[in-house]
Amino acid sequence: MDRRAFLTAAAAAGLAQVVTPEQVFARAAASQPAWSLAVADVAGDIPRQPLRRIHGRPPAGLAGTLYRNGPARFRRPGGDATHWFDGDGLVRAFRIGEQGASLEARFVDTFKRRQDTAAGAVITPGFGTLGSDRAVIGSADDTNAANTALLPIGGELLALWEAGSPYAVDPRTLETRGLKTFSPDLAHMPFLAHPRIEPNGRVWNLGLAGRRAIVWTLEPSGAVERTALIDLPRASYMHDFTATDRHLILVLQPLIQDRMTLPFVDALSWRPEEGTQVLVLDKDDLSKRRLYDLPAFFCFHLGDAWSEADGTLRFDACLDSTPQFAVHGARDLLVGKAGRNGVSLAMIALHPDGRAELNRTPLTAEFPRADPRRAGLARSKTIINTVRTEGRPLLRGVGVSDWRTGKADLFDYGPDQCAEELLFVARPGDDSELGGWLIGTSLNLKARATELHVFDAAHVADGPLCSWRAEVGLPVGFHGAWMGG
Amino acid sequence: MFDHTFKTAAVFASLGLVLAVVNAPPAVAQEAGAVTVTFSGITRPTGALMVGVYDSEAAFAGGKPVEGFRLEVAGPEASQVITGLKPGRYAIKVFHDVDGDGRMNTNGFGIPTEPYAASNNAPSRMGPPSWADARFEVTAEGAAQTITID
Ligand SMILES: [Fe+2]
Repeated sequence: MDRRAFLTAAAAAGLAQVVTPEQVFARAAASQPAWSLAVADVAGDIPRQPLRRIHGRPPAGLAGTLYRNGPARFRRPGGDATHWFDGDGLVRAFRIGEQGASLEARFVDTFKRRQDTAAGAVITPGFGTLGSDRAVIGSADDTNAANTALLPIGGELLALWEAGSPYAVDPRTLETRGLKTFSPDLAHMPFLAHPRIEPNGRVWNLGLAGRRAIVWTLEPSGAVERTALIDLPRASYMHDFTATDRHLILVLQPLIQDRMTLPFVDALSWRPEEGTQVLVLDKDDLSKRRLYDLPAFFCFHLGDAWSEADGTLRFDACLDSTPQFAVHGARDLLVGKAGRNGVSLAMIALHPDGRAELNRTPLTAEFPRADPRRAGLARSKTIINTVRTEGRPLLRGVGVSDWRTGKADLFDYGPDQCAEELLFVARPGDDSELGGWLIGTSLNLKARATELHVFDAAHVADGPLCSWRAEVGLPVGFHGAWMGG
Repeated sequence: MFDHTFKTAAVFASLGLVLAVVNAPPAVAQEAGAVTVTFSGITRPTGALMVGVYDSEAAFAGGKPVEGFRLEVAGPEASQVITGLKPGRYAIKVFHDVDGDGRMNTNGFGIPTEPYAASNNAPSRMGPPSWADARFEVTAEGAAQTITID
């Protein structure tokens, strides 16, 4: 409709006041919710800038870099990504040293990003974006957004996705070195965004292809120690798995890939009547397996697992009753709509007699992390994002939940903030569980700026020991990693 | 996401086996001109290019080539002159047998790990390169194709 036709139509409709297109656009912009900054586009790489200290003082002995990853470019003139998980990965480095703190960010230079940039449209299909048949796709890695997590290993930062290879990134410059191919026969094999790292540095990971999976074992140096192909009882969507010191634990939720179509999320069926299965494999002999049954639930993320003296395996999980958010909510986010997201903390116990137990709590929880020195070993504390606001899709608080005491030590950043994942950093010389600090970021919607916070892990409710603010407000990201020194 | 890569692997994997049974095409009365094919962009100068020339959509999708050859790789480029074709429409597919084992290698999930390409540099778009994108005309004057592989 051109301007004249529009005005004529408005007049004909008998509107008391003529509405110009400019006013319509202005109203549309104003109707974008405040939280839309959390899924806004970043135009390009962000050179290093100082972070302004706005509260407290950094604890003595805290020095290093918090690397974070997350989607940060969704929209292009000729067509947009239509799912939160399909934005281009932006690697952010929050560096803390004696001279203060700084931030820089650089997009992972993926084939997908190059292809979409050249087309002036998001033509590459993804998790929830259809893409176009103009897209060149030789393998799943040509659709790899490298936007989910980071694994620092072997002097590199590996930018992780889930259906393809990692991209190697220089931790100093954040420059992309290219797709990581561990060996020619492992090219383009999938590598999930949630590797499990033993306290000794050995890495376990999975890659999924329907009812088959690759099990990766990496040496602490980053070299492949071993890979194995295994069969699974069902083709569940799996974003994460967990591990004890001796077992791999795969949660096979009833969100099943049962057809071949694009985008990927449309190939999944929710079949709650089939319940959730949990597959336990021995790390030393992957053919030794046990299968447990639980009621149906959806989850992205699991906590580190451990085994108890009687052989019971335990781990926590952030559960939702349906995959509503993964399928619809994360699509709606990009167009300013907040859907329902009922994720909360639960404990799962797998007993030696074959019985499985699911204990839900009412505590809102996502992005579970724990003390990495106890990965696979008995622990009681889980670091979470928490505090929901009605009508808002993202969480606004952080905390530590203690399974032993049943208490949660929580801090609410407030209604103007979107919380991001918190990681544990050990205090030198302190071996106790979570003896040290929690470090993480938030997006301050009012200041339109990203903030960096450090908490005493034993006193989260007291608020940050120190907070810094950037000059830019970056979209909310997913997962990160801390590199000390 | 993965079905097309299986298809791609199958379509190209057949090439290595099929080349063994292709005979030189019989001489025919109406010969087209020579087709000069140049392969460029080779980054790993080892092994060989396994090349198939097809005269129909069905053959291109997994049938027998009318002409097939193995071309040693010794540098960033390789080329071959094909003679004896009848005038008409053809398409070429090629994979780089980097390790020289005579077959297209795939990873544990069947995804190709050796480079492949087709005439007109027809892309893989949610599937292997299509006949529609790869076909070209061979006339009495012949034809020329430059195919980037790797
Ligand atoms: Fe995740």
